[in-house]
Amino acid sequence: MTDFVQNCIDGLMFGSGYALLALGFTLVFGVMKRLNLSFGPSIMLGAYVGTWVYLNISDNTWLVALVTLIATITVGAYVERLCFRAIRRDATIASMVSSFAIWMQLEEIAMHLLPERTYPFPAFFTTTTLEFGPFYARSEHITMLLLTLALLILLHAFLFRTRLGLALRTVSDNPLASAYMGINGSNILFLAFALVSVLGGLAGFLILSADSQVTPFFGLWATFKGLIAMMLGGMGSLPGAILGGLLLGVVEANAFWYGGPVIRDLSAYLLLFVMLIVRPGGLIGQRIVAEQRAADERV
Amino acid sequence: MLKVENIVTRYGAIEALKGLSLDARHGEVTCLLGPNGAGKTTTMFSIAGILNPHSGSITLDGNDLTNQSAPSIVRKGIALVPENRLIFPEMSVTDNLYAGAYCRSRSERQAVDDDLAETFERFPRLKERRAQIGGTLSGGEQQMLAIGRALMARPKILMMDEPSLGLAPMVVEEIFSFIHQLNQEGVTILLVEQNAHMALKVAHKIYLLEQGKVTFNGSPEDMQQDEMIHRAYLGVGSS
Repeated sequence: MTDFVQNCIDGLMFGSGYALLALGFTLVFGVMKRLNLSFGPSIMLGAYVGTWVYLNISDNTWLVALVTLIATITVGAYVERLCFRAIRRDATIASMVSSFAIWMQLEEIAMHLLPERTYPFPAFFTTTTLEFGPFYARSEHITMLLLTLALLILLHAFLFRTRLGLALRTVSDNPLASAYMGINGSNILFLAFALVSVLGGLAGFLILSADSQVTPFFGLWATFKGLIAMMLGGMGSLPGAILGGLLLGVVEANAFWYGGPVIRDLSAYLLLFVMLIVRPGGLIGQRIVAEQRAADERV
Repeated sequence: MLKVENIVTRYGAIEALKGLSLDARHGEVTCLLGPNGAGKTTTMFSIAGILNPHSGSITLDGNDLTNQSAPSIVRKGIALVPENRLIFPEMSVTDNLYAGAYCRSRSERQAVDDDLAETFERFPRLKERRAQIGGTLSGGEQQMLAIGRALMARPKILMMDEPSLGLAPMVVEEIFSFIHQLNQEGVTILLVEQNAHMALKVAHKIYLLEQGKVTFNGSPEDMQQDEMIHRAYLGVGSS
């Protein structure tokens, strides 16, 4: 029992990283109704620029964090121009495929920038292990969990309490009508993408500095974990992204403890599979799907 | 007040408006009538800046609006109630209304809140449902929401594109009595309709459109007297 509880605590901590990634995916999906597959790789490239600065210029962690964030935003803007703005809004498949193409491109750039496989990433946190009775938690993981929850609250406040958040929701809900209200859709979408890149940069920096290393496969890993967490929680739902991320973390941590690393990776896909059969809309998405159906019937 | 002169608007090679002119005078209801494909909606889109006319000019109180962007035209005082209402189906009624006021400056926040209260007074049903999402409203309620949303921009001219479309006759009556009431309060309205009978009751001036051109303009009385038009639009035997 103690093991199980300890696994759950660890899972929540890992899961908060997944939750941050899922927040990025769910925002893009919620606003644009499209999947940005190159989200993970753009974070990876941002982190590579960060680690390049760390190796060649300065070992100041704050500077590396700032560079990582700025680089991720720049790459995000590049992705937005090529995969989303250049391609018509209704061409969902085309933009998904092009985001895959950009993924490959970003990985190549990262490998040319730093040709070896694994690089150190500066540890932001001084690791201390905190004891709570029989249980343990690492301080950097607690920071990550708290930061994730704080970001959720901030995002929610932005979307539902500010004028720009209102504009963002109108563009997501009915782009034509929002144009009639005099809202400039493409500016708003760019803003949304910048916001998502900030989230991605933060997530990348926190996860990588807890791991203290970065590889070109981080992009694939981040896209997988983020997508699975988003789909578990419900596509387009912010609290769903957090719940999905935490759930994924808890299941993986237990699978790892009881079955080893191979079982851990399998468990993520198994969980997704079961969720898609039992609740295809995800933990929170289901409600939205049902409401939408009721609304459609009434019209 | 609103003056449209000789505009030509194209969709690719197709000329939808072939030199169309009209006037909407202050405090009046001006109505565009005509069959499907006559260019009524294209006229509205050209005025609202959603389409750019190829030639011709559009002015509001002497200010040139030709080829300006949709946001700047909303700011200059023209709001649109679009065909099929186009409300925001997943946003609350209150947020739908706030979205209508998006183009008003931040310093007007207090005035916007006052207007919201006024809109709820005008439409008690919207007030009852203010926390509900737009998609769950009935057709008539959605039309009221679309009108309320456009009014939140405090427009000088309210343009309405087929407000009776797809609504039950009772609800159509209600919407038109509301249009009449708004006009009594001094709102200038440019109305596009296919329902000629209803339109004649509220309009001060009628424009008939056919194939991108104005083929008749005059008061509702003039229109009643014109034998040909009377037959085509109001049917034989009605009065």
